[in-house]
Amino acid sequence: MQVKFEFAIYDEALDKFELDEKIYSYELNEEETETYSILKSVDLHLYNFFQESESFKSWIKDEVYPNMIGGKIAICDINEISFRRYYFFKVTSADVHYEYFKKLFKIHHEIDWQGREEVGKEILEQLKIKRQELIIELKKDIVENEA
Amino acid sequence: MNYKYINNMLSEMDKDLSSKGMTRRDAMKLAGISGASFMMGGSNLSAMEKDEKPIAKSGVDAKIVIVGGGLAGMSTAARLTLNIKNPDITVIEPNKQSVSYQPGQTLVAAGIWDADEIIYNRDDFVPEGTKIIEDKVIDFDPMNNQVTTAKGQVIDYDYLVVATGLQLDFERLEGLEHAGRAYSIGDNSRLHKAMGDDSGICSIYTAEGATKTWEQMQKYIEKAKNAKDGKKVQFLFTHPGTPIKCGGAPKKIMYLANARLKEAGARENAELIFYPNGGAMFGIPEYHDAILEQFKRENFKWHYRTNLIGVEIENKIAIFDSQWQEKGPYDPVMKDFEVISKHEKIRVPYDFLHITPDAVAPREVAESDIGSAAGWVPVNKETLQHIKFKNVFALGDIAQVPMGKTGGSVRKQYKVVVDNLISQMEGKPLTSKYGGYTVCPLITDIGTVMLAEFDWSVKPTPSFPLDPLVERWVHWLMKVYALKPMTMYGMLSGKA
Ligand SMILES: Cc1cc2nc3c(=O)[nH]c(=O)nc-3n(C[C@H](O)[C@H](O)[C@H](O)COP(=O)(O)OP(=O)(O)OC[C@H]3O[C@@H](n4cnc5c(N)ncnc54)[C@H](O)[C@@H]3O)c2cc1C
Repeated sequence: MQVKFEFAIYDEALDKFELDEKIYSYELNEEETETYSILKSVDLHLYNFFQESESFKSWIKDEVYPNMIGGKIAICDINEISFRRYYFFKVTSADVHYEYFKKLFKIHHEIDWQGREEVGKEILEQLKIKRQELIIELKKDIVENEA
Repeated sequence: MNYKYINNMLSEMDKDLSSKGMTRRDAMKLAGISGASFMMGGSNLSAMEKDEKPIAKSGVDAKIVIVGGGLAGMSTAARLTLNIKNPDITVIEPNKQSVSYQPGQTLVAAGIWDADEIIYNRDDFVPEGTKIIEDKVIDFDPMNNQVTTAKGQVIDYDYLVVATGLQLDFERLEGLEHAGRAYSIGDNSRLHKAMGDDSGICSIYTAEGATKTWEQMQKYIEKAKNAKDGKKVQFLFTHPGTPIKCGGAPKKIMYLANARLKEAGARENAELIFYPNGGAMFGIPEYHDAILEQFKRENFKWHYRTNLIGVEIENKIAIFDSQWQEKGPYDPVMKDFEVISKHEKIRVPYDFLHITPDAVAPREVAESDIGSAAGWVPVNKETLQHIKFKNVFALGDIAQVPMGKTGGSVRKQYKVVVDNLISQMEGKPLTSKYGGYTVCPLITDIGTVMLAEFDWSVKPTPSFPLDPLVERWVHWLMKVYALKPMTMYGMLSGKA
């Protein structure tokens, strides 16, 4: 099965993401296909699965960003499942994203009377931490010394 | 515990029950509560006293200072006294009548209770051996473990518990700049002078204000009763943009005004309108839906996202900042339209205006090192220990804990603070945890209450095996008869 991926490149110095507008196709093996179909309804689990997958990471390093070893990236979209909100959320972003994060971060103060600006800022604060979990570091492969 | 008092309340409850042909046992069955001790007979209460297990007291030796001798401060002092062999506890509290029963202010404001039923003498609740300093802390110096009082005393501590409650920020409102900031109890004459004696403006958030609310309410109910020209008397109720104590109180007073209007046969001639700053009736979706249905049933009106910013007392105009959202430009990265917030001032005429003021941390806390940028004392929301100063704990309305500003939350928090404070003193890990429980008995009529209980799971967490969304008479009985004795004699003795 082929899955389409989109990525964002993380600039550590500026703590900013930039969207790579290209779409890349990755071929899943049988086992990965099975896992994909189980996890596709729980977005963050699906993300973690790819984040942990060595073959997926090798594919990125070898074929997607061969010139970016040592850099950091994040997955924006996996087929139709989007993670863009994690990197590009703004206080003014659409309600679906705003509500999604309010739920995710359990922002239900007293009885929720704060304005959107205030809640939005709180979401951004929490996102700073959450994003770090999603970033994929393109580590240099360590070649064992065969002496 | 004062069992005589509790038994008196129970016999009052029995009278109410028997007028409806019911025994207390029937009521208990109806509520599905077999274990709620306050609905039980006096004999069971004595049994409870005998059953009280001796507590293994800690031998720790240190000076504990508690700032604020209200519900949270006094209950903590009482429980520490029960749990430490040789307690050295000092409570700093300026107000002789600090230990009020604030939830009763709603009932006073609707003429159900008298004002003297909620005001108590602080000194009747000071645990044996606890020192009281009748003064106000004006500076906290956590680096040097000291506090300074208004009379100039510098007091050292080993451990500090902050329980100052919150302040009511009326002076923020245009037209009430002279009102100053108020506390729920104590001398609030500046506020009441600024509001005027007979202006139609009132607030149940101060004890004196509760009595004034009932006076004003009766006046405008009378006006509605005599209205002949078809012009409806306007009753407005506000809810601000800050966390407040007892989030349901602004609505409770609206329901009670409605009940009194109906009772007077004047409801047809009145309009009841709710102006909340937020965009929902309640943060918990289940309760939001239930309240919305009640609002429709009672023919209330409401305007979301309206924040009271001023009053023109002479002209009887309330000024609101009305906020709304519009569709903004398309965001190609997020593949969605942005949302742009807009706002404008609106002017609304009123006859009766009930104000729920912004709640803020007292300046001496907010501006010192123990306060956060928002003013509240930043604590670990589970252990209630200060995030920076390990020998400082905070609880009650002043603690920066989501959804925690009710007496019901204090009832869970003070036990956690005592456990963890003792563990900290003994050099042990802090294992006691507050789970975010809070309760709001939402009075929906004279005689019915919907008991909104919830925690950080943001789901109803009912204590009774009953549908939490149904308004019930048994919860009314609990609110009117059982909760006060449980608070005043259970919590304040450190036991309930
Ligand atoms: C109208 C109304 C209705 C309510 N309804 C309910 C309800 O139905 N259910 C419920 O559970 N809760 C309800 N509450 C909330 C409940 O009463 C409070 O959450 C509770 O009283 C908080 O206790 P506390 O000790 O933190 O604050 P308080 O009881 O307000 O005590 C704070 C104390 O600190 C003192 N203090 C302040 N500053 C200083 C200083 N600098 N130095 C020394 N002392 C200081 C004050 O004098 C005061 O005595 C209601 C409150 C109101 C006003």
